[in-house]
Amino acid sequence: MLVMPSIVLLLLIHLFPLFKAFLDSLHTGSLIDSGEFVGFQNYIDNLTSPTFWKAARFTLVFTLVGVFGSWAVGLALALLLRTRIPGGGLIKVLLLLPWVVPIVVSSTAINWLVATSSSPIPVLFEKVGLGQPLFLADPTWAAIVVCVFKVWVSFPFMMMMSSAALSGVDQGVYEAARMDGATSMQQLRWVTLPMIARSTYISWILMTIFCVNDFPTIFLLTGGGPIDATNSLVVLAYRTVFQNQQVGPGVSIAFMMTVVLVVLSTVLYRQIRRAAH
Amino acid sequence: MNSLPARTRGASRRDVLKGTGLAAAFVLVPGLATSCAKSKSESGSGSLKFWDMPWAVESYNTASEALVEAYKPASGLPAAKLQRIQWNNFSTTFASALASKTGPAVSSGAGFQAFQFAEQGYIAMADNLISDWEKDGFLNDFITGTVDALKTSEGYVGVPWQSDVRTWWYRKSLFDDAGATIPTTWDELMTAGELLKEKGYFGFGNGAGAGNNIGAQSLVMMMINNGGGLFDPDGELDLLNERNVETIDFVLELVKAGISDPAAVSYTTDNHLGQWKNKKFAFGIHTPALDDNIADSSGDLLIASPLAGPHGDKATLAYVNNIMMYTNTPSQEGSEAFVDYYIRGMKTYWQTSVISALPVLQSIVDMPEFQKSGNKVKAVKEYLPIAKTYAARSSEVFPAIAQVDGSQPLAQFTQTVLGGQTDAKSALTTLQQGLSAIVTS
Repeated sequence: MLVMPSIVLLLLIHLFPLFKAFLDSLHTGSLIDSGEFVGFQNYIDNLTSPTFWKAARFTLVFTLVGVFGSWAVGLALALLLRTRIPGGGLIKVLLLLPWVVPIVVSSTAINWLVATSSSPIPVLFEKVGLGQPLFLADPTWAAIVVCVFKVWVSFPFMMMMSSAALSGVDQGVYEAARMDGATSMQQLRWVTLPMIARSTYISWILMTIFCVNDFPTIFLLTGGGPIDATNSLVVLAYRTVFQNQQVGPGVSIAFMMTVVLVVLSTVLYRQIRRAAH
Repeated sequence: MNSLPARTRGASRRDVLKGTGLAAAFVLVPGLATSCAKSKSESGSGSLKFWDMPWAVESYNTASEALVEAYKPASGLPAAKLQRIQWNNFSTTFASALASKTGPAVSSGAGFQAFQFAEQGYIAMADNLISDWEKDGFLNDFITGTVDALKTSEGYVGVPWQSDVRTWWYRKSLFDDAGATIPTTWDELMTAGELLKEKGYFGFGNGAGAGNNIGAQSLVMMMINNGGGLFDPDGELDLLNERNVETIDFVLELVKAGISDPAAVSYTTDNHLGQWKNKKFAFGIHTPALDDNIADSSGDLLIASPLAGPHGDKATLAYVNNIMMYTNTPSQEGSEAFVDYYIRGMKTYWQTSVISALPVLQSIVDMPEFQKSGNKVKAVKEYLPIAKTYAARSSEVFPAIAQVDGSQPLAQFTQTVLGGQTDAKSALTTLQQGLSAIVTS
């Protein structure tokens, strides 16, 4: 009973904005006026819109590359850093930089590297006879650059998670595996990965949420363009609400994303429990 | 665990309960919250809230604060208090404040926001003020067309205080290097563009990347230049008119001929300015402040005269930025008195060169301080007389123009056209469909 006021307050803080946003998603209004009640029409309109599905496809690709790309790089580096290499401490700090540096700074740096025909990387490509790819102006290249950028800014997080998990693995298990004749790859497949599975699932859940909700990485680099090639659902929601001033349709996109994330997180959470047993 | 005396633990359990209950009651009982807000608002009712945007450099902020502070209202009228509103999410800032009656009495803001707020009943029309200015002759000081750009069927939604037009710019040294002449028509632009291309320069400098609206505005400007536009004379969307198709066909020719930078679709404002600064762009559309934006006072970067379209038409896209008054004011008479003071006193911004926008008063244009800025003088002289808003073909302005400006369909259309992978009719059809979905009136 004593905690009831706190619970009520927390529910109000969390649920009231959600409830208000849900109501907005059922209206055809602008930022100024909530407009008419239209039921679930905004949801239906979105689900039948090619733009929505294009954004959903890119979100899926961006998330898959972001989660597994950064995990693969992060795990590889974590394994590498367990070995004794000169200047290991300094390398660890340097490897954290992409995660630590504000995204505004890193996206500006990437833009400087690739955006115009006089940027260093297009110039380098031209010099080695590979032409001048339009890294941010060509839809395919832009999608690749955005995904690679996401991996680059995210791998330090995965590296830290993997390092923490690896430090908890008993070295005796590896010794036993070696005595049984297991190769390095077999040790990784049958010892390391199962032993750090719980931590891996947690990092996947977190990175999935980070990727699906990632607005600045995409928006600062491409704004969702060119021609919607890098338009994710969260960017589409933003553009719908703040550029097209269509609050209902924009918020309904955000709600659908939330539902998908909750379902996905639940599935992965069950995996964690399984891994724990 | 509970070894510390209750007094030293900051707050007892009972205190926490009290506080939590009070906070919950505050949120739960709307009347309580409203009455508290009301009493706070009333306590500050002695002053008139003026919301101003950060229009230019930091020194503008200082100058505008000084101008507002120097306002001495007539007896019985409220004093004015300035509050700086940032451009980030300004629509939300204004909308939520107006809806909760905590917004300004007077404000500057985006060029078209007054039209939207007027439709919702938040704007106090400026007809009285304009009528007074007509009587005392001050209205004659406004450059032709600037006041009428704010006229709706319900009245004047605001009064102009500065103007922004899209102008053609060129870099003289690049034209000299390519042996090209400065174009005066679209046909000549194509010819000059070919010569510039041979030297590695772009004759149709543009940008349509994240947050860069110049590309979209350029295409709309060219449609208007050619006698077209987004709306028909009745204010209905009309993208597929003959002139628009002709315009986009021409732009696509420029793109396919390599006269436009193929990477322009992704250029942010900084990339775009960088191409001008690095002497890659020789000709293109921008704001009258391009030379200020890249700090180029060499005299090499100049505003060209307006280009004639294929039918001889000359026109450009304009934003008449305005000072608007709101119905939620401690005194409408006070709002009008303050706006009158502000408009008559704003010449100080141009005297001290703290603003890049074009003035709307002829008396400011005539000042020696302004006459020194050659490019802007040319913009005022040659572009303002042919300037039109997004409602180019209509005699009145309507709220829909605020919905299309900066919208996603327009941005996507621009990227599609500058990417060159389309034809004019398909691109305009998609734009018509996209804008129809967001234009509500």
